[in-house]
Amino acid sequence: MKKSLLAAVAAVALLLSGCSSSGDSAGSADGFGAIKVALVPGGAHPYFQPWKDGGAAAVAEFGVGGTEFNETGEWDQTKHNAAIDAMAAQGYNAFGVFGVSPTDINTTFAGLKAKGFAVGSLASCPGGYDIVKEPQKNSADFCLSTDTGKAAYLAATAVIKEMGGKGNLVHLTGNAVDANTIRRMDGVKQAIAETGGKVKLLTTITDIDSDLQSATKAVTDLLAAKGKQINGIVTTAYNPAVAATDGVSSTKLPIKVIAIDDDQKILDAIKSGVISGTVVQNPWGQGYVGSWVLSALGSKKCTMNTPGLYVDSGSFLVTKDNVDTYNDTRQATSKEILAAFQNEYMTCK
Amino acid sequence: MKFKKIFNDQRVVLTLLTIALFIFFGLRNSAFFNVDFVIYPLLRDGATLTVIGLAQLCVLSIGHLNLAVGRMAAVSALVAGASYQYWGLTLVQGAILGVLAGALLGAITGWIIVKSQVNAFIVTLAMDFALLGLVTFIYVTFTGATAAFTTKPAGMDYWRSKSLADFCLGPICGPKALPMMLVPAIFCLILVSFMFSKTRLGRELLSTGSNLRAAKLSGIPVENRVMTAHIFSGTLAGIGGLMLAYTNGSFTAAIGSQVMLPSFLGPVLGGTLLAGGAVAVLGTFIGTMMTLVIRQGLSVQGIGLETLNIALGLVLLLALSVGQIQKMFTSIKLRGKK
Repeated sequence: MKKSLLAAVAAVALLLSGCSSSGDSAGSADGFGAIKVALVPGGAHPYFQPWKDGGAAAVAEFGVGGTEFNETGEWDQTKHNAAIDAMAAQGYNAFGVFGVSPTDINTTFAGLKAKGFAVGSLASCPGGYDIVKEPQKNSADFCLSTDTGKAAYLAATAVIKEMGGKGNLVHLTGNAVDANTIRRMDGVKQAIAETGGKVKLLTTITDIDSDLQSATKAVTDLLAAKGKQINGIVTTAYNPAVAATDGVSSTKLPIKVIAIDDDQKILDAIKSGVISGTVVQNPWGQGYVGSWVLSALGSKKCTMNTPGLYVDSGSFLVTKDNVDTYNDTRQATSKEILAAFQNEYMTCK
Repeated sequence: MKFKKIFNDQRVVLTLLTIALFIFFGLRNSAFFNVDFVIYPLLRDGATLTVIGLAQLCVLSIGHLNLAVGRMAAVSALVAGASYQYWGLTLVQGAILGVLAGALLGAITGWIIVKSQVNAFIVTLAMDFALLGLVTFIYVTFTGATAAFTTKPAGMDYWRSKSLADFCLGPICGPKALPMMLVPAIFCLILVSFMFSKTRLGRELLSTGSNLRAAKLSGIPVENRVMTAHIFSGTLAGIGGLMLAYTNGSFTAAIGSQVMLPSFLGPVLGGTLLAGGAVAVLGTFIGTMMTLVIRQGLSVQGIGLETLNIALGLVLLLALSVGQIQKMFTSIKLRGKK
């Protein structure tokens, strides 16, 4: 019995030792047509869906060989790495990646770069250092992401203005040990500090962005317990934003809300006046600009002037006044960012 | 007759099934045979999950569960990461400290179970919550916006990226497909296997899991054995946590947060009984590899998230039912003979 088991294990070992790499790593591309861009977020989340359209727009406009969206990372760095490896094995030779763990993703980027691939950090930059001051520590070729601290500051300033510059503010956000969340919290605190004590941060609720159910429960509990004391809510994560919109709408409390992102529910609530506004980010632009830059790098037509450079993909305040036109502004900004890459951040043949 | 006996061994069936799946996925898409992007990372992840599976197996042997296995891994990684960042310890020194932290947590868990007589499920669940809070608190307090220990001691990248091809004895080097991470996993497999099959301690653990009262009446110090099983579990979870950190590149609170279910999957698929009294050490490795082959195989086929999870669930269900299907066929045959 033991012999047969050993024989079976030996067969696997033989199979493994006999295997050789079937594909070469990065292709030496002649043009954009030879570049296949893999867009790999850390897992499934509505925020990343516009990456698909952004990538498709780059394929149609610039003749990129193709883009593929893979969201099977399930918010686990190990599974995320496996998803990236699966794409590499299938022949994708340029990678736009949102890292699950900002401090781990640099290791993944370094591995991909070592194989000769073009790599961009999209929607989040590697953590553990200040990317603006030390871009050389970024193992990816560039980082195109929302300046989360700036976006949170923009949102908090807007809600404070709606509150009349005084009162109690609540901040709803995501994972407490994510560097981006900490930057968001700092952005909100900065806006509050500028009021000279007129606005008080009543509470910050973290870790409620994993799903809408958790966010809804947290918002319901909050409004039941402290609804009458709250003058404003600022949300800097997607699920809490939708939950806060629903909560304020159903309780009819006189709370000013600035949400984040552009879920249809949020846009409808802005139009009907239930909430004051939202700060939208630019995932479409990340997919669109990111795919062009990756193709330019992968095809060796361009090189980064500052390897690892951080570029803000933009954040925009949307209120009743511009709710119908903000997307045009966002797309125009994306084209400006692309032009900046072409003329300023890169050197092209 | 001999063949029948061989195919009644769940481990043989699982091994053959894993090989068949491996070949099937490779024939469907040759990219699956890519060493750099499929086989090497598959074995590296398999090595880590096997060690975590063994951590679960140690407590399953006495009929307990360890729901805090992932969080124990996180604490070990935290201790090792802090020792590299603040005290400048070497890779090995930090690793020893981390593993000792895991062992200590296992000892505390075992002690609480023995002294309180509360079910291991409840105690380890409570431990999981407590450690989650502690780990998050420490990272946020000590590392601020980074929320991780990022200092890499010399040699850490070696374990992540090197294979046995870099390990040569004279002119003979190992295969490129086998990652260095397999070395600690094989070491743990041999050690755990030896303990359960060749030592009195192992037999006493299995007896405790098989029938607690009978074990007590036969003079086995069952309370000590409960403690021992949990110490082993914490130690192996600690090793798994370090392997996860070395693979991913930094020491974060997220380490181990997704390993609780896979820690059961490998041992149970391999033939370990949830009720205790029987373990399958090599089966843990085979079971773990099978789930990874299915997942990565489907992923390389370009299957989307929902379909991937449905297919993974169905194949695992089928694999877990193999034993039952065999029994069904055997009983049909026996009835036919009568």
